[in-house]
Amino acid sequence: MRLGLVIDLDTCVGCHACAVACKEWNTSGTTGALTDYHPYGAQPSGVWFNRIRHFELGDYPHNKTINFPMSCMHCENAECVTVCPTGASYKRAEDGIVLVDQNKCMGCNYCSWACPYGARELDRASGTMKKCTLCVDRIYDMEIPEEERQPACVLTCPAHARMFGDFDDPESPVSRAVRERGGYELMPELNYQPSNKYLPPRPTRPIPTEHLRKRGIRQVKDWIHQAVTR
Amino acid sequence: MADQVTVFEDHKNQRIEYSTCYMCACRCGIKVTVENDNVRFIQGNRNHPTNQGVLCAKGSSGIMKQNSPAKLHQPLLRKPGTARGAGEFVPISWEKALDMLTARLQHIRSTNPDKLAFFTGRDQMQALTGLWAQQFGTLNWAAHGGFCSVNMAAGGLYMMPFAFWEFGDPDWDRTKYFMLWGVAEDHASNPIKIALEKLKRRGAKFVAINPARTGYQAIADEWVAIKPGTDGLLALSMVHVLLERELFDWDFLVRYTNAPFLIIDAPGSSDHGLFWRNAAGHPQVWDMCTQNFADGMEAGANPSLSLLDKHITPDGRTVRTVMSLMIEKYLDASYAPEQVSKITGVPAETIERLALEMAQVAFEETIEIPCEWTDWTGRKHDKFIGRPVSMYAMRGVSAHSNGFQSARAIHLLQILLGTIDCPGGFCAKPPYPKPVPPPIKPAQHSAPNQPLSSSPLGYPTGPEDLVIDEQGNPKRIDKAFSWETPLSIQGLLHMVITNAHNYDPYRIDTLILFMANMAWNSSMNTVEIQKMLMAKDPEDGEYRIPFIVVSDAYHSEMVNFSDLVLPDTTYLERYDTLSMLDRPISETDAVCDSIRHPILKANRDVRAWQEVLVDLAGRLQFPAFVHENGEKRYQDYKDFIVNYQKEPGIGFLSGWRGKNGDQHLRGEPNPRQWEAYIDHQSFFQHHLPLNIRYFRFVNQAYLDFAVEAAYIPKAEPMFIEIYSEPLQRFRLAGEGVYDGPRPTQPADRERLVKYFDPLPFWYEPLEQQRVSAEEYPFFAVNQRPMMMYHSWDSQNAWLRQIIAQNFLYMNRERGEHLGIADKSWVWVESHNGKIRVQVKLIEGCQEDTVWTWNAIGKQSGAWALSPDAPEAARGFLMNHLISELLPEKTGERRLTNSDPITGQAAWYDLRVRIYPAAPGEEGTWPTFPTIKPLPDEPRPVDRLRYHTHPPVNLKS
Amino acid sequence: MHPALAVIFLTLFSGGGFGLMALTALVNDFQIDGGLNPLQTMIALIISMAFVSIGLLSSTAHLANPKNAWRAFTRWRTSWLAREGVFAVMYYPFAFLYLVWVFFTGGTHDAIGLILANLAAIIGLITIFCQGMIYAVLRTMRQWNTPLVPANFYAMGLAIGATWLAAIQQITTGQPDPALIGIAAALLVATGVLKGIYYFWISRPGGPTIRTATGFNRFSVRILDQGHTFGTFLTEEFGHRLPPAKAKSIKILMYLIAIILPLALLAIALWGQVAALAVLAALLVLTGFGVERWLFFIEAQHVVNLYHGRQQC
Ligand SMILES: Nc1nc2c(c(=O)[nH]1)N[C@H]1C(S)=C(S)[C@@H](COP(=O)(O)OP(=O)(O)OC[C@H]3O[C@@H](n4cnc5c(=O)[nH]c(N)nc54)[C@H](O)[C@@H]3O)O[C@H]1N2
Ligand SMILES: Nc1nc2c(c(=O)[nH]1)N[C@H]1C(S)=C(S)[C@@H](COP(=O)(O)OP(=O)(O)OC[C@H]3O[C@@H](n4cnc5c(=O)[nH]c(N)nc54)[C@H](O)[C@@H]3O)O[C@H]1N2
Ligand code: SF4
Ligand code: SF4
Ligand code: SF4
Ligand code: SF4
Ligand code: SF4
Ligand SMILES: [Mo]
Repeated sequence: MRLGLVIDLDTCVGCHACAVACKEWNTSGTTGALTDYHPYGAQPSGVWFNRIRHFELGDYPHNKTINFPMSCMHCENAECVTVCPTGASYKRAEDGIVLVDQNKCMGCNYCSWACPYGARELDRASGTMKKCTLCVDRIYDMEIPEEERQPACVLTCPAHARMFGDFDDPESPVSRAVRERGGYELMPELNYQPSNKYLPPRPTRPIPTEHLRKRGIRQVKDWIHQAVTR
Repeated sequence: MADQVTVFEDHKNQRIEYSTCYMCACRCGIKVTVENDNVRFIQGNRNHPTNQGVLCAKGSSGIMKQNSPAKLHQPLLRKPGTARGAGEFVPISWEKALDMLTARLQHIRSTNPDKLAFFTGRDQMQALTGLWAQQFGTLNWAAHGGFCSVNMAAGGLYMMPFAFWEFGDPDWDRTKYFMLWGVAEDHASNPIKIALEKLKRRGAKFVAINPARTGYQAIADEWVAIKPGTDGLLALSMVHVLLERELFDWDFLVRYTNAPFLIIDAPGSSDHGLFWRNAAGHPQVWDMCTQNFADGMEAGANPSLSLLDKHITPDGRTVRTVMSLMIEKYLDASYAPEQVSKITGVPAETIERLALEMAQVAFEETIEIPCEWTDWTGRKHDKFIGRPVSMYAMRGVSAHSNGFQSARAIHLLQILLGTIDCPGGFCAKPPYPKPVPPPIKPAQHSAPNQPLSSSPLGYPTGPEDLVIDEQGNPKRIDKAFSWETPLSIQGLLHMVITNAHNYDPYRIDTLILFMANMAWNSSMNTVEIQKMLMAKDPEDGEYRIPFIVVSDAYHSEMVNFSDLVLPDTTYLERYDTLSMLDRPISETDAVCDSIRHPILKANRDVRAWQEVLVDLAGRLQFPAFVHENGEKRYQDYKDFIVNYQKEPGIGFLSGWRGKNGDQHLRGEPNPRQWEAYIDHQSFFQHHLPLNIRYFRFVNQAYLDFAVEAAYIPKAEPMFIEIYSEPLQRFRLAGEGVYDGPRPTQPADRERLVKYFDPLPFWYEPLEQQRVSAEEYPFFAVNQRPMMMYHSWDSQNAWLRQIIAQNFLYMNRERGEHLGIADKSWVWVESHNGKIRVQVKLIEGCQEDTVWTWNAIGKQSGAWALSPDAPEAARGFLMNHLISELLPEKTGERRLTNSDPITGQAAWYDLRVRIYPAAPGEEGTWPTFPTIKPLPDEPRPVDRLRYHTHPPVNLKS
Repeated sequence: MHPALAVIFLTLFSGGGFGLMALTALVNDFQIDGGLNPLQTMIALIISMAFVSIGLLSSTAHLANPKNAWRAFTRWRTSWLAREGVFAVMYYPFAFLYLVWVFFTGGTHDAIGLILANLAAIIGLITIFCQGMIYAVLRTMRQWNTPLVPANFYAMGLAIGATWLAAIQQITTGQPDPALIGIAAALLVATGVLKGIYYFWISRPGGPTIRTATGFNRFSVRILDQGHTFGTFLTEEFGHRLPPAKAKSIKILMYLIAIILPLALLAIALWGQVAALAVLAALLVLTGFGVERWLFFIEAQHVVNLYHGRQQC
């Protein structure tokens, strides 16, 4: 199995719901608590696994805004794991999920240097590295109703711009979406082979108006009066 | 799977509860996991009609709202001897607080009930607060609609059987072309997001009309960068294009609208522009087959649209159809795309193409749903025909002083295309459709110790329905239903403090505010409003607004300016109803309402406001709340909701009625109704069978159903009023020829004549008419950030990490041209004041517009934030620039900066000029004094590590 | 990158320490200018071990959870950081035994002495390589992802070692040693050249762009909002940058302190027979390379910055 996410850039409205739901689930999750620093102070910040960035393409008036959620890509070629000296970072053979064993991590930050996607954040309170767990404690928890055994971010996304599934199964919804919509990876040149894929905006359907134009402008007196019974 | 045996977290100490979110007015269903009385997780309820399992950022951060250090702890009284606004409070017991308030209110009620002004903000319980005000007997009640989006409600409800806002939705599952006008987030925030994805998946086209490109507009197939305040004109130009090519739904106009009705053409006479009615009072039409006049309200005629002809009636009157007036008006060259392009900034080619695209989809990509249904004439149909073009519009249109007419212009476009309440079109949500306008009139008189004869709010249909005295002066403190804003069907919350301060029209005694942050983001002209709240009368040394009572749950800016603070519970701690008598959570295809119930026990000395209202109603002996012998009729809010009946069988909640809980919509009170709701995940949903899902305004089976459910009084068709007779009546009054009340002041007369056009039209927003565009070259508007709800989310530890400072967003090229650098500080100046803010240059901004995120700026010290919080030090409010009054004109009284028809606050009419701040000039300006912490307010923590159990670490 | 003092000290001092060890072994192996006497050898060894210890200790200060530091050796099969740890620790027994051996026997270049010396030196050199590779394997930072990095690490470690050895030699004898000074000068020049090549290399554009980072290759791409008002771990760790003009002047300063001045001082020391100048040169080299380390970190641009608005196209 190769589990991961597909993010649909055609429908992501940039609402940050997935980021907050992730925070909410995971602060009591397997690597919680996710510390917040100065939560009510001058420079609030904290540990998050999922962050939404916003970009603009092109120049006004031919510009488009793209909302861009990013979390761990659960790379096939997870250098973050390779470089970890303690063995705290590991990639599960059975499903490809990349995790950090909080009991082993020494907080050297090295894995975060190796991650191109900014998926790892050090928790200064616990001194350990934390990252998206692909909600391993939701997707495998048999006490959670089956249809909810999904990552918190996927469950919550109002624009259904997030899909979760197995990329090794060519018929899974994620594989199909990637195939049909031209799903792509970020920074392929680095060869991390991220599992997560991004779906580009769909092309717009052209709507024919030529025949209506040809019809031309009519004088009111030429209108065809229709008898309609009220 | 490999991990099937792993134990992740212990669910034994957890329980699941279903309720309704309160982080905004969308009211999504939530599934809450509670662990040892702390919230483990809040997720969307998959079965809930509104959100179908999803949840937004605000909803998902409910934990941090519940955890907020800004929560109020106990009732507070302004410390005797200290000044209002100084922020000195002493705790007071609930008993003492309520005794004190009861005595005060009793005195007011027995002398002059209008001396109580009771106004509520973004609440979700107007059915209760309205009933309370009516029973108290004060005319001075309204909720927040007047400063929010009354233009959408009124614009729709005076034309159609339903409206934008919470009254209707596109048929998301079927529409093929969707046009979104001026919406950043809306009250249907999750439903719109769910829907946009559906649209895109189905390959429908999504066009967004908005000066800014973020959020929803980001994913639009086409972005139309319009100049603010010109939407009405854009819509009417598309009307022009459609009419010019005879692209409209002829049948729809004849059958369902008043387009064929005959209008009296007699300028100068008192019935000019009114319908030519028969003895039964019905408007008449010209029958093409019989070549004679016929009753427009009866089935069977073949009305002519008559285009340009005039008819002479037997009694010698000249009459013409509404359609002929439309033709004359909209085919005028001033609506041609080339002309309109200059004002709207939208290229002529685009205007024409969009109109034609919609015609193509409406008329050539029609959908049919096989289904037998019968219309009001008894005619049987074997299918619903759908014209799958739909639209939705909100505050980008409504928050302008021409928003009422602009909303109508957009509806007109939909009406021409025949996309009203049809498959793929714009559909009503029960209890709508309702007659045009809904048949409720505002109460006009108050008397000591007497309930009002009807609700303080209603729908005037002519000058005689205004709430004015014999001299024509306003009787309400907000001047609603006066000549200044006759159709202010939701009051003018934004005028209350100014008018009360000015004793205009009179001095009030007590102001009760529930859930409205009027000292800050919810007032225009914040600096002045704070002064007014603190102002004293030079003669008696009393405050000009003598007593201010605030119900809030958190330490908002408004709390700081109150005399008595009544602390509310949070949404996880109280009972609540989202009732059919109010604005329920219905879907277009289902009747729905819902509740909240206490999931957590409040750990503070707080009481739900609804409990306080029911308690006060008993203490004050409101007839509807006490037995003959004066004993309280309802023990508490829960009891009230179960047993109160508006009419036999109709109460606040429509599910599980009847003694045994087996009746829906109508039925006797069920003593176990709350339990039934809680058992059913806190909501009730009644699906409409297919045959009453469309064309409901003329669908006989639906009309019968709606009468049974008490949504409408009579099973009569509800025609669309393209031409509005009520508007014409006011116009006649302005012209001085109306047969009834007429205004005396020239300003009122002029406004009635100018703006009360019975057909939708466009005019330049009022403030802009008085402010030079050369001097103030930019339009300045706001957007809702998706992850923040007005002022109240800055206390949320998670959300404020996403946004704790707002910028002034500006078109990059334009900014660079003006020598303004990205992230630099600039001065922004309006006719009313100036602010210093930080700029961000972006692409997604119309070049003459600047915008910012709404309500991020905070007063230092409020919301339990540290005084140097960026919300106060670097964030800002646009409100300091906006005035609640129009720029002064000599010889004229000061007029409200609102739509002249509805009184909708014109937040987005603002024009500004912008110039770089001097080197070293940094930080937001103006600054305000730091608000003092309340007694008991916890010190902000440095680190927060919220969790409900120790982590179950997975081993590598 | 955040130029954390702990990491700067780690690579600077441990590199210098290993360099000093390597040169000590080299000089004694080949008895260059008669080799070092036991005292000089012992001083060199003590300084070498002190430097390595300073480096390693300061690196633990960099750990957020040092109680797990002992686990850092476990993944030596894959992690250069683990390997560095393993080798750094292995260096101690050999260096220490050599010290003991020289102390008790005076045998700076007898068989046992040389075996110990060379083992310590080789392990040290391997550690420098591991250290370089810690950075060089990271494809996330173009400025590091090059063989020039381990090459530079070697050049610098050895140059520090050589200048310090020259200084030790001079202090203990009061006489400048042309051979040692020559080695030091040569290594300094080599380091300068290598560093120059490195700076030239990093000045050319390369690596992922904001376009490949987002996948929009046919448009201009600009950040609108990074999604948080204040810093995060990522911006604090990676969000540092140096304006090019400032970088240039600091580099000139660095060349001056680390290479040009020491070369001049060494020359004066050689001709003027002023021992103290060699010490000053050694101190300057260390300081100058400290600045170089700082530049090495602050100039490294992590690709994640592309997601925070770095406008590389
Ligand atoms: N997240 C979140 N959701 C909310 C709220 C909140 O505070 N936060 N508030 C709730 C409330 S009370 C309300 S009233 C609703 C309002 O919901 P919206 O109607 O979405 O209101 P605004 O955010 O004011 O959005 C106005 C939009 O219109 C655009 N605009 C401004 N002027 C014009 C114009 O002249 N023409 C056009 N076409 N566009 C224009 C602005 O750029 C902006 O995108 O949202 C509700 N939902
Ligand atoms: N410049 C500008 N100003 C605007 C707008 C704009 O677009 N631009 N939009 C306007 C619009 S549409 C609106 S609706 C208003 C916002 O309307 P408001 O209703 O004033 O919104 P809030 O600022 O959220 O204030 C609500 C108050 O309710 C309190 N509250 C929260 N929860 C509870 C509770 O459970 N019980 C009680 N009793 N109180 C509670 C909060 O603490 C806060 O003080 O802002 C208006 N102001
Ligand atoms: S995204 Fe980063 S943390 Fe996640 S697997 Fe890839 S390299 Fe590792
Ligand atoms: S921070 Fe923790 S997980 Fe990351 S490399 Fe260091 S020890 Fe491994
Ligand atoms: S999969 Fe889970 S941990 Fe990962 S981003 Fe989504 S919610 Fe967060
Ligand atoms: S929740 Fe969905 S729409 Fe919102 S930011 Fe995340 S991915 Fe985008
Ligand atoms: S849209 Fe968000 S805040 Fe509003 S009710 Fe739904 S979940 Fe709650
Ligand atoms: Mo609103």
